[in-house]
Amino acid sequence: MRATNMKKAILKTRLLAPMVAVALLLTATAFAAAPGIKATSFALTAQAAYVSQPDGQMIYSWGYGCAQAPGASAFVPQTTTAPFCNTMQVPGPTLIVTEGVPVSVALTNNLPVGAGNTSILFPGFTVNATGGVQGLLTQEAAPNTTVTYTFTPTSPGTRAYYSGTQSDLQVEMGMYGAIIVLPKTIPTACTTGLAAANVTVEGNFGETDFRLAPAAYNSPKACYDREYLFQFSEIDPNIHTQALAQINAIAACKAASTPICPNLDVPTEPYHPAYFMINGRSMPDDMDPNYSPQYPHQPYNGNPHMHPGEQVLLRIIGQGRWQHPFHEHGNHVRILGRDGNLIQSATDANSLAGPLLFTTTTTPGLAMDGIFYWTGRGLNWDPYGHNPNSTDPVAKLSCIPDANGYNTGVAAQSQLNYYEWCADHNKPVQVAPFGDVAGGGPVTLPDANILTNGAWYGGSPYLGPNATQRATGCSSDPYANPKTTCGGTGSTPPSGTIANPPGSEAGFAFMWHSHNEREITTNNIFPGGMMMMMLVDSREFQIDESN
Amino acid sequence: MALNCARLSDKQDINARPRVFACASSAVAQERDPEYGFFAGSHLPTPSLQPSPKVQKALTAPPGSEGDRTVMKRAHQVWLPILLVCLVTVAANAQSFRVQCPTSTITHPQALHDNNSEPAYSGPTVYTACTPGQTLPDGSTCSAWGRYVSSKVNGAIKCQQISGGDGYATMADGTQTYMFSFGPLSGLAKIASGQPGTDFPSEFNTLYSGANPLQPGDPATTNGATDSPYSPGNLATFSFNGAVGLANDIANAVSIYDISESGHVVTVVGNAPLGVAIGQKVTIAGQDTTGYNGTFTVTAVNVPNPFFAANLAFRYSDPTTGLAEVLESTSATASIRAGIDGHVETRPILDVGVMNGNIPAPLMAIDEDDEFFLTLTNVGMIMRPDLFEQHTVHFHGYPNASSFYDGVPDASVAINIGGSFTYYYLAPDAGTYFWHCHITPPEHLQMGMVGQIYVRPRQDRYSGDLYAGLQAQEGDLRTACNSGDILCSNPLPLVKTGKSGPGLYAYNDGDGSTQYDVEYPIQIHGFDPNFHFVGMTFNPEGFTDMKDKYFLLNGRSYPDTVTSGPMFTQTVDGSMHYSQPLPAIINIPAGKRALLRISDLDVTEYQTLASLGIPMTVVGYNAKLLRDQAGNNMYYNTNSITLGGGESLDVILDASDTSKYPSGSVFYLYTPNLDHLSNDAENFGGLMTEVHIN
Repeated sequence: MRATNMKKAILKTRLLAPMVAVALLLTATAFAAAPGIKATSFALTAQAAYVSQPDGQMIYSWGYGCAQAPGASAFVPQTTTAPFCNTMQVPGPTLIVTEGVPVSVALTNNLPVGAGNTSILFPGFTVNATGGVQGLLTQEAAPNTTVTYTFTPTSPGTRAYYSGTQSDLQVEMGMYGAIIVLPKTIPTACTTGLAAANVTVEGNFGETDFRLAPAAYNSPKACYDREYLFQFSEIDPNIHTQALAQINAIAACKAASTPICPNLDVPTEPYHPAYFMINGRSMPDDMDPNYSPQYPHQPYNGNPHMHPGEQVLLRIIGQGRWQHPFHEHGNHVRILGRDGNLIQSATDANSLAGPLLFTTTTTPGLAMDGIFYWTGRGLNWDPYGHNPNSTDPVAKLSCIPDANGYNTGVAAQSQLNYYEWCADHNKPVQVAPFGDVAGGGPVTLPDANILTNGAWYGGSPYLGPNATQRATGCSSDPYANPKTTCGGTGSTPPSGTIANPPGSEAGFAFMWHSHNEREITTNNIFPGGMMMMMLVDSREFQIDESN
Repeated sequence: MALNCARLSDKQDINARPRVFACASSAVAQERDPEYGFFAGSHLPTPSLQPSPKVQKALTAPPGSEGDRTVMKRAHQVWLPILLVCLVTVAANAQSFRVQCPTSTITHPQALHDNNSEPAYSGPTVYTACTPGQTLPDGSTCSAWGRYVSSKVNGAIKCQQISGGDGYATMADGTQTYMFSFGPLSGLAKIASGQPGTDFPSEFNTLYSGANPLQPGDPATTNGATDSPYSPGNLATFSFNGAVGLANDIANAVSIYDISESGHVVTVVGNAPLGVAIGQKVTIAGQDTTGYNGTFTVTAVNVPNPFFAANLAFRYSDPTTGLAEVLESTSATASIRAGIDGHVETRPILDVGVMNGNIPAPLMAIDEDDEFFLTLTNVGMIMRPDLFEQHTVHFHGYPNASSFYDGVPDASVAINIGGSFTYYYLAPDAGTYFWHCHITPPEHLQMGMVGQIYVRPRQDRYSGDLYAGLQAQEGDLRTACNSGDILCSNPLPLVKTGKSGPGLYAYNDGDGSTQYDVEYPIQIHGFDPNFHFVGMTFNPEGFTDMKDKYFLLNGRSYPDTVTSGPMFTQTVDGSMHYSQPLPAIINIPAGKRALLRISDLDVTEYQTLASLGIPMTVVGYNAKLLRDQAGNNMYYNTNSITLGGGESLDVILDASDTSKYPSGSVFYLYTPNLDHLSNDAENFGGLMTEVHIN
């Protein structure tokens, strides 16, 4: 599995807060956010290139890219490392604009001549097009010419853009992207109270704010702490093979100055996709960093991380031809809005009316914004494995419930268990003590030798390196030979937890995937396709989304 | 190539490899491996170490003596003995099969309520602070939690055991289809009669007391069934709902050579192996060990020590510290008592669990606030002994799940063949959830490892004004629907209806709007017969070409959907099994309301189910009440619903108008995906069932 390619840059940072002075922070690269280009005018090009799939195939595709490389300051989040915008990428560049500010998008058609005209549709906006030639749905750019679209976004939210010319073929070939409209006004609720505290805590643990804005919409219910953009699409490799063959044939024909050359006529039915992608990549490629150099034409990843309690904005778009039931393990998602339309209660504009979903169906052309979070509330046991009798001060952190029952007070803001669900604080899950985690709970785990460990298993039932090391390796044993000690990179069994190391991350991993399970395969290979692992990380792990 | 990739990625753990090889080669290798030192400490009764008579027969049967049987059967004759021997070996060495169903926990102390029924709801549970180690009013010890439940205990304890393995089901065109599947290993009688197999502790912790031992295929084989032609007999004559395999543990006592304490941890070195397991109770008694005497829970076994072999030593924690070491005591003993402690015998588990797959997997139902102990016992897949496949349970939709109990093998642990793993859940918010195996999902789900679970609301346990009842629930922060929680699903209703309980409700609605009289869990699924055939024949299945040809409601296609009672299938071991115990017919008493808990675990495409004649009212979606944050019900009437794999939805069929829906009328639920109204080659049947007004 290529997930092992993930770089683990390990840094050690000493925390100032006295309660966690003993804890060492180990930073692994987490990468993600919703990266894109923030501007008011964009110069795009449509070109052909090959996209990479994890079975080793390079698939001939068409996509939008940047006609000229944007200035470094145009890439957001600003802290992104080594961003790029090549002349072709799938999905196309994520265009980040602001509500009420006019936008212009110039599209130059640099597709192979045989591909004919192309264009962009911006559903949900009133678009004026200048230049180009009249097409069925909009003004189109003929080969090697430019068309310019202008519009003023009137409402915030996430939307799709895609080709409006011979769409059955061009969208399949990769001509789609996302446009994110940031709200003009940020509600006060999103910059005060818990929302502000969450930013403070990020800072206390040495993290950077990677949001595009503090709110998705101008609503006090649309605040968020982190965000991810997922675009779902499929590839039927036969269509791409045929397109390439015909493009080459047409080019050869024209090169030979044959008087009559065939037109492009690629059948797009029957449709038989074999690749199922999120942000243009199949698992495990989607968990490699944004702007990873091995994917020059697929710069965006899908590798969400979050801390307990963070409100995480999911921007989800169906860009392919099929619907996909995208199942978020770990909790429900509150749908805020569809295609930039906030779904409000009929009786109270400040109350949300979007559904709560554990499976968010993606629909072709439809974008939705939703909020997800994970807190561990209701587990009925303490996922941090706190132990009031431990000699480890981190094992004895306090938990003082706020009005909602979470540990969010000022004192908690520099504690590892910020946002812990206090009702289960110290509550044991296991009958027997497990290392330095107290017993007295309801269940007995089987002998570890009859279990198979997953690559993302954190090493124990508990969250974070401190709890995991206490549970598995730090009990002082007078008779042990050799003596077990707290390993810096994890300890005693389990082994093989390579993607979520017990010593540095030990997060709770959750699979986010298409639940039409056939689609979590890559051209007949499992695992693959529309799948990624979401990590809920303890505060010991710095989430760094700079690439 | 594809499958190799899959298998490698699923089995990266090196722990799995020696087990695979040890199992395939010999048990002796395992005994010698210091990693598997528990053999010497095992005190399994000897019968479970023996291959069953059936196995011996299979082993000694002359090859080719039954040439008139199918190819399938010959394959089975080759592999069944090998795998069964393998299973017995593993189970014996590791004492790995085990069930858990405590009668009292810190959340549900027995002293307040016996946990064998649901207590009425009268408000949030009351907690009181205590000091860890302190003796509580009921005589138990305050846990590290530092709190205890002092009154208004809510919910109870529920337990269930399921097998993970394989089996066969009968499709509506008569085809027998091979499955990877779960089967019941508790609540057998309830499952066979279409009920949830979930037990209270008093039901689960019951020893089987029938005159004859449980047989392969039970209860399909001994409930008065007759052989030829097969008749399933009278379900009522088989009433066992306890955990299959449960047996009294064997008493044992050893004299103590050395007992010492470090902090709260006591290490005991006996003069012989006691054969104790982690979690078992051990009693220390002796004239010179008075400080140590008492009964404790074992926390570690196979403890290296300076005196004897590790398997002679074990550990537990006690409340005291500073006890002096007692060496070579003349009177001290450590003993374990006979009794039900989760110890199971292997033989009945294999007899009942092997080839006993159900579609859908055993039905589960719990009540909000319950603690649910779900034991998955991996009995292996007889027809695919090449796979050594783990299985897991993914409780789909469980809010704020821990990844440990989420069942995703990549993110957690998965139980190997020959072992049991107990999943632990506090019943979440009421709603229609479902569950499935999460190993290689496109394969294991397509092959049939899908089931249903739903959570009944607190409101069912509440009498009085429903609005006031929901207000009382707001006092429990865990389920409170305050404005700060964007994922809260059932705020107080905007309109007070003045309705009162008791009654049955889909959700904690506070207005009675989700009231129903009868409920039907309906699971949509699909089978691709080509994939199942390839899956049975040791070949790698292709995923891209997967195409369902059987469209199933509760594992049945029309007209089997309306057949009452369990459907049965003869498997390749010759025994009859209840393969599809759950009918999909909807029977509504005239003038009443039915709740359909519809879930979809199809792995290939979206499915639509339409109602012909009686409108559907959708009240819940993805296990959440359809209500906006301001308290407006967002229910809608429709004549069809569409679900993708991994979605659920609650529909009420309201037949309260007896002039429109008189007794005797019949309506249909069917799919307008008209090509799905077929059973493979038969242009008839498929995703369809009937609604009868009785």
